[in-house]
Amino acid sequence: MSLKKFSKLFGDLDSINSTNNKIEVLKNYFLSNDPIDNSWAIYLLTGKSNKRFISGRYLKNLFSQIYEYPQWLIDTCYLKVGDSAEVITLLLKNKTNSRKKKLSNISLNELLSETIPYLSKLNEKEKNLEIKNLWETLPEDNHLIFNKILTGTYRVGVSIGLITKSISKLINIEEEIISHRLMGNFKPSIDSYEFLINKNINLQELNSKPFPFLLANTIEDKIFKNSINDFQFEWKYDGIRMQLIKRSGNVSLWTRGQELVNESFPELVEKMSHIKDDFVLDGELLVWNFKEQIAFDFSLLQKRINRKSPTRSIQIKYPIIFIAYDLLEINGRDIREIKLENRRIELEKYFSKWQIKTENNISDIFKICDLIFPKDWPDALTYKEKSRENNTEGLIIKKKTSIYSSGRKKGIWWKYKVDPMQLDAVLIYAKGGSGRRAGLYTDYSFALWKDNELIKFASAYSGLTNIEIKELDKWIRKNTIEKFGPVRSLKPEMVFEISFEKIQISKRHKSGIAVRFPRITKWRKDKKINDADSLENAYELMKKIS
Amino acid sequence: MRTKQEYLIKYKDGNLYCELADIWIDPSKPVKKALITHAHFDHFTFGCEEYISTKETAILLKERVGDNIKIKTFEYGEEFKINGINISFHPSGHILGSSQIRFIFAEEKWLISGDFKLQKDQTCKQYEIVKTDYLISECTFGLPIFKWDESNKIANDISKWITNSPEKTSLLFCYSLGKAQRLLNEIGQTNFNGNIYSHGSIHKMNNSYRELGIDIKDTIKIENKKKIDELKGSLILLPPSLSKGSYLKNFKNIQTAFASGWMSIRALRKRSGYDKGFAISDHADWDGILEVVKKSEAKNVFFHHGDSEALSKYLVEKESINVLLFGK
Repeated sequence: MSLKKFSKLFGDLDSINSTNNKIEVLKNYFLSNDPIDNSWAIYLLTGKSNKRFISGRYLKNLFSQIYEYPQWLIDTCYLKVGDSAEVITLLLKNKTNSRKKKLSNISLNELLSETIPYLSKLNEKEKNLEIKNLWETLPEDNHLIFNKILTGTYRVGVSIGLITKSISKLINIEEEIISHRLMGNFKPSIDSYEFLINKNINLQELNSKPFPFLLANTIEDKIFKNSINDFQFEWKYDGIRMQLIKRSGNVSLWTRGQELVNESFPELVEKMSHIKDDFVLDGELLVWNFKEQIAFDFSLLQKRINRKSPTRSIQIKYPIIFIAYDLLEINGRDIREIKLENRRIELEKYFSKWQIKTENNISDIFKICDLIFPKDWPDALTYKEKSRENNTEGLIIKKKTSIYSSGRKKGIWWKYKVDPMQLDAVLIYAKGGSGRRAGLYTDYSFALWKDNELIKFASAYSGLTNIEIKELDKWIRKNTIEKFGPVRSLKPEMVFEISFEKIQISKRHKSGIAVRFPRITKWRKDKKINDADSLENAYELMKKIS
Repeated sequence: MRTKQEYLIKYKDGNLYCELADIWIDPSKPVKKALITHAHFDHFTFGCEEYISTKETAILLKERVGDNIKIKTFEYGEEFKINGINISFHPSGHILGSSQIRFIFAEEKWLISGDFKLQKDQTCKQYEIVKTDYLISECTFGLPIFKWDESNKIANDISKWITNSPEKTSLLFCYSLGKAQRLLNEIGQTNFNGNIYSHGSIHKMNNSYRELGIDIKDTIKIENKKKIDELKGSLILLPPSLSKGSYLKNFKNIQTAFASGWMSIRALRKRSGYDKGFAISDHADWDGILEVVKKSEAKNVFFHHGDSEALSKYLVEKESINVLLFGK
């Protein structure tokens, strides 16, 4: 199989929107190529290789140097394209028609196991020459893949889930099993591919499967007609929903997106494996502030999510905790059909047993969620309003007599979220986006009034529809006061409603405040800039909360 | 250097205007006298007292907007005089009838490129190199990332795209005048031999092209209630305005594509919402613009239509060409 075929796969996946068709294309690809190249393809598409041989900046400099191209021109092109590998690919077009013999049949395996490792052994000068040589000898339609491999940037809308699905279809085996096989240190080889498509499932694989998750619905008014005593109340944590499974001595951590994340949280896996019983727990993973016994911001959790095999210092810097709120299986016995209130009793019983009987102390990484006991519905509302204080998003309300079914079933679990905080602010800066949003101004900064001056208080890039983005982009281009590189300062004219989750004092910002998760919730075309909020309004909001 | 007031052609109210002849070029509001470079609607407005264009442009315009306009025509290369200024149309290779316009006054030459391309296109006259002192050029695709493939390659890609999904109806969106006919001409030379349907607005232009002697493949006007089985494996040409909204509900099991120069950029392709993009354009790419600037031998160049910042800087730095800005 040649690199050409992989280039074609990449192009096909890129131009197909339907998930089913993507799966079909992947399936056919796997069927028609040899195991070693298939295993490289999986390795690349799933982003198992985050390795970057050279940076995008380096690639652009190299091109500029070889072809005597002004750097600023490449940078201008980059603003339109949003991806270094693609910019250089486009600029290379028709540039390399030297009479050199083309490497039209190089295989993916050859490129990745020989050519590129060889590159990293060279000194800079030799390396540059070799890249130039490869540009000139690789057929043009392979340039994009080659440049992307060099810079380690893959985004073709192929997730690990899609690969999992297509292999699952290919060999007719459940997705969870394939997920499990794809977990860990996937080293491209004939063996690793053969293992992936093995039709025989072993017991350990079967044991790792999670249950379908039960999801909460948004609160409905009719719930308030019921007696408060029919329900169990918990804080709604803003973490990663997870099933923590231990069966036959093996621990697996499953996210709601059917992703196995053992590698990201090894300390949890290790600790939990000391518990003697087997179990399936449903709960939330958080980065925990042990001093104050509340969760840290989700942003800290983000530092852990995408990091595989975190170092010891990362583990200490961002300490995690698993908070269990349900017990679904205990020592091989599926108890999902038991009422919630009784499952809770079991959960508490086993938790206290584990705390005493487990050799290593488990309570520094695992606990069960505290319950709240509002005396009536207005009291529940008061709890909800207080949820910001302990960094939760509101309440989860569960019917005590419910069984653990699956999906977003009505009438079982509800979420009762705190309303977001909002301010109306004036758009003052815009910056070009990257990737899919390249060529459009999509990153915005907003300001509030302080006397007669507009002071920047937040940046946001989500919340507008594609049509609104295009419309605003047009307006931005016409109403630019000044350009600083990719940033434009704008005529103060547009007012937006900005929602956020938290507001606090910050010495780092000129405004003196910092907000969390700011996002645009409305384009207030009805408002003039004088109608926008002032910093004083923001301070008042802060006072109200604390 | 002279001030802009003394230029023969200048920008006035966002339009190109020659004061000495009191004539506007592709004006966007009604005026007394308008020179029209080609029959696209963004270069035409109703209500002018008199239009002047090539013969083909006049025929296409009347087909699109009706006979109720007063339009005077000239052949390519034929000179005519207004207030002592010699004016002539020259092929610009954009679409059928499209032209550059040259002005000569007191031995000074001005050339308005109009929309143009250098690429081969059998549905219109090839771009003619015209020497000038002052060049006013479009620069829609004024960045070096834009480099067009040969149009027969794109046509073959389109043909493969359709035949690889024989169970689907392939909807190809393209501008109804010019692009559609160029695609039909190119697709006619590929292996694709299925049916081609076109939307009424395109169908009308196809007929005009044929009447003007242009060789394009036969198409069937698409009726609203076609049987789905009948459309399987065939190609349907539609104007981009129909890509959003309920019109697509008329079809089942479709794949969509957009034929436009912008489709060469992945981010734009993804954002456009079409399944596929074919990068084919009736405007010049970067190399095309540079070639025209150089071969015209113009000492002074102005750009309009597009972001000309990078192109201007490049010409000044690399080619030592004087790029001027219009006071808009």
